[in-house]
Amino acid sequence: MIRNLENLIIKIGDVDRRVIFVLIGLAVLIPLLTPVSLPIRETPTTVKFYEGIEEIPKGSKVLVSFDYGPSTRPEIHPMNVAVLRHMLRNEHKVYISCLWPDGIYMALDALEDISDEFSLKEYEDYVLLGYRPGAEAVIKGLASDLRKVYTVDANGKFIDDIEMMNNVKNLNDFAYIYSGSAGYPGTFEWVKYGGDPTGVRMSSGTTSVQVNEVIPYVRSGQLIGLLAGMPGAAEYEKLVESPGIAIKGMAAQSFAHIVIVVFIIFGNIAFFLKQKKERKYSK
Amino acid sequence: MTLSAMIGAWIAVFLTLSIFSYLYKDNPFYKIAEHVFVGVSAAYVAAISFWTQIYPNLLGRLFPKDGPLSFTGLEFDFNHSFNILYVFPLLLGLMMILSVFQKFNWMARWGIAYTVAIAAGLKAFGYLNSNVLNQVSASVVSLFGENLPFFNISGDSVFNNIVLLLGTISSLMYFYFSKEQRGNFGKLTRVGIYFLMISFGASFGFAVMGRISLLVGRFRELIAYSEPSYNYSTIWLLFLIIAFLFYHSIREKESNT
Amino acid sequence: MILKRYIPIAIVAIFGSLTLSAWFIDNETIETFANDDATQFFDIIAAFAVFLGALNLLKLQFIKFIKKQKGWQYSAISILSFFFAFIIGFFIRGAYFVDDKVFFTQEAALESIIILDVSKEQQEEPYKVQENSFKNLSDAKDFAIKQNLITPVDWGAHVQKNGSLFQWMFKYIFSPLSATMFALLAFFVASASFRAFRARNFEASLLLLAGIIIMIGRVPAGGLISSWMVMYLIVLVSGLYIHYLKKKNNVTIIFTLAGFILVTIAGMITGWPIDKPSIFYLPLLQEWIYLVPNAAGSTAILMGIGLGIVVTSLRYIFGLEKSYLGE
Repeated sequence: MIRNLENLIIKIGDVDRRVIFVLIGLAVLIPLLTPVSLPIRETPTTVKFYEGIEEIPKGSKVLVSFDYGPSTRPEIHPMNVAVLRHMLRNEHKVYISCLWPDGIYMALDALEDISDEFSLKEYEDYVLLGYRPGAEAVIKGLASDLRKVYTVDANGKFIDDIEMMNNVKNLNDFAYIYSGSAGYPGTFEWVKYGGDPTGVRMSSGTTSVQVNEVIPYVRSGQLIGLLAGMPGAAEYEKLVESPGIAIKGMAAQSFAHIVIVVFIIFGNIAFFLKQKKERKYSK
Repeated sequence: MTLSAMIGAWIAVFLTLSIFSYLYKDNPFYKIAEHVFVGVSAAYVAAISFWTQIYPNLLGRLFPKDGPLSFTGLEFDFNHSFNILYVFPLLLGLMMILSVFQKFNWMARWGIAYTVAIAAGLKAFGYLNSNVLNQVSASVVSLFGENLPFFNISGDSVFNNIVLLLGTISSLMYFYFSKEQRGNFGKLTRVGIYFLMISFGASFGFAVMGRISLLVGRFRELIAYSEPSYNYSTIWLLFLIIAFLFYHSIREKESNT
Repeated sequence: MILKRYIPIAIVAIFGSLTLSAWFIDNETIETFANDDATQFFDIIAAFAVFLGALNLLKLQFIKFIKKQKGWQYSAISILSFFFAFIIGFFIRGAYFVDDKVFFTQEAALESIIILDVSKEQQEEPYKVQENSFKNLSDAKDFAIKQNLITPVDWGAHVQKNGSLFQWMFKYIFSPLSATMFALLAFFVASASFRAFRARNFEASLLLLAGIIIMIGRVPAGGLISSWMVMYLIVLVSGLYIHYLKKKNNVTIIFTLAGFILVTIAGMITGWPIDKPSIFYLPLLQEWIYLVPNAAGSTAILMGIGLGIVVTSLRYIFGLEKSYLGE
């Protein structure tokens, strides 16, 4: 009987990959169709991020950078929306820049999501500076003279005609920098050319793929806390008491992770059994 | 629901399901979607780059309102004053464009050289300051100071500081290939490898997390577009694509036999 | 040779040194040039490079189409898609405002303003714009335009405006394609987990174990797994390992049973708290792994990359590295 079981496991180990695709697809789809609520536990980096924003004096100028596109929207967008909510609740003046061309549309969507809640008025509550190509060169320019990089905002209005831009010459005039980043350019560039040279407090929300690369900056204090992928976004939504799509996606995320761990364990068991069988027959 | 939103939703669902059809096998739907992506993304990025950078910051500085070149009839009012230096990036940019032709291939080198120069100058300092000096400074911590407990799983502790220091040094030592990794040095680098493996394992875990998050996002959108307000677009298109692929695979089998 | 080799090398040396020295030299002219104008030049040339990429793409697709190479039909689709997006981006404003509403074309905007009143009183002048009546549609349109009832978006802002045609293209064509391409990777990661990730040696086992703990500990489901369940699992796996080493059934059974009994007694004494002992509670264990050993390895990698980039950048500036010339 044990031999039959071993043979079955080995046979399943050689299954067509399309079966695996179907299983992982169902693992994600079923929890989305039949929502399950799971308790969210905040991690220390998310709590530190939240506290970092709470420490900013009320009514300060903050720079929020939308450095992601539609490919990473499920991870970064919920955290950016939650950050905007947090900033506006604390009555900060928000200045929005984008290092990715798609970032401008992400920013417009995020503003639309919260517009009614805060009765947002452009040029009173926020300024949408828009996108500029150039990555670190843009940040370096912002650190030196914002008006050399942005002469007009995203609507084509002259920066000098915007009252909210009075007394904003460069990055030093902001109390806090936040980057919702999906890769290059993003967190690393903001740390190297924005936060470190100017000393302005900053933090970031990143995709899960980048989280591990960014942790040294969190440890060294160059970033004050971190929002790590969709789970990080869910934790932050819980902290700012605005449940959103990140929290709703956690059941699907959890279930899919468990399925993948089962795949890894099962795949290794099948592998070892196959090796054992081959060694037995080679003797 | 506007007509443009309805048409857009059906196009979005078709393109999404076409890309996903690759999971079955390479097929015409996937190829169509892939080539649409290639064409649209090239033009999209070109348009964004032109209107957000070249138009205001280059043309706005070479042809400002009431500038010396306004006699040409070209005026772009972006609150800039005329700056002759901006002929330099215009020249390099045009040379880059001309390099499309085989004969002028070399012309791109000047523009590339300039971007390499600026990137090198920025990165040399940026990486040294942020990635090396600040990280070394952060690694130099007081191991036993400030009434730290010996071990704390979720906070600072003496044990954690020792592990951090040992891990950082041993991992860095692994990358030192000028000395043969044998003896005591070899033992240290072996420890370094273990720390690096833990790091790679964590990266793997996070990478899986990221990919699943993206899939959750796509499925969520497909579910939204399957509602009656979008005329069940997901369901109809899924059915059509599956039916076509099924028919396609039968035809292929018949032509093979 | 001078144009193709020495001038590019000189450009790198001069501007690289200037940019690098601007970090250290306290001179306003150099700082202003390096921080503002030089970086603006970089941004502008980067924008032209994007055009170069698009043109090269078109060139390749056209060659494939004209020479009828394999897959030329798809190249036609690429070319058509490119011109579709290009025309929307460069030749069509795509956003006309009437109060807060946005229309893709001026015609659509005009249609929303001009009312056709076919009642008996308005038979002579059926076209109404606000309080004004007109005999012809064209007169009504001219009036609406002259009165600035329609605000076309500025060129440049049309690619960054919500509700514009360019944004429609982004939302319903570019965005789904881009997002789905990346989402496909989830399936391949799952397939690789099953078919490729093997714990062949100690290092690979460490990698997989760290990955599994992070994956489970980071999500809410991980918080529902009691530390006692993990302890039972460890006892079971240790039992299997003992069996593999000793190959004696009674040793395995005694060891495993003893382990289960010890864990059970400890649990009964402490009252089975879900998160104690904290070292076996996955979310806390995951946090420790992430913030301590993993951070150590990541810091070393970051430092190594930093040193490598510094050296490579200096090699470019000093002209020792000439890979950008194709050498």
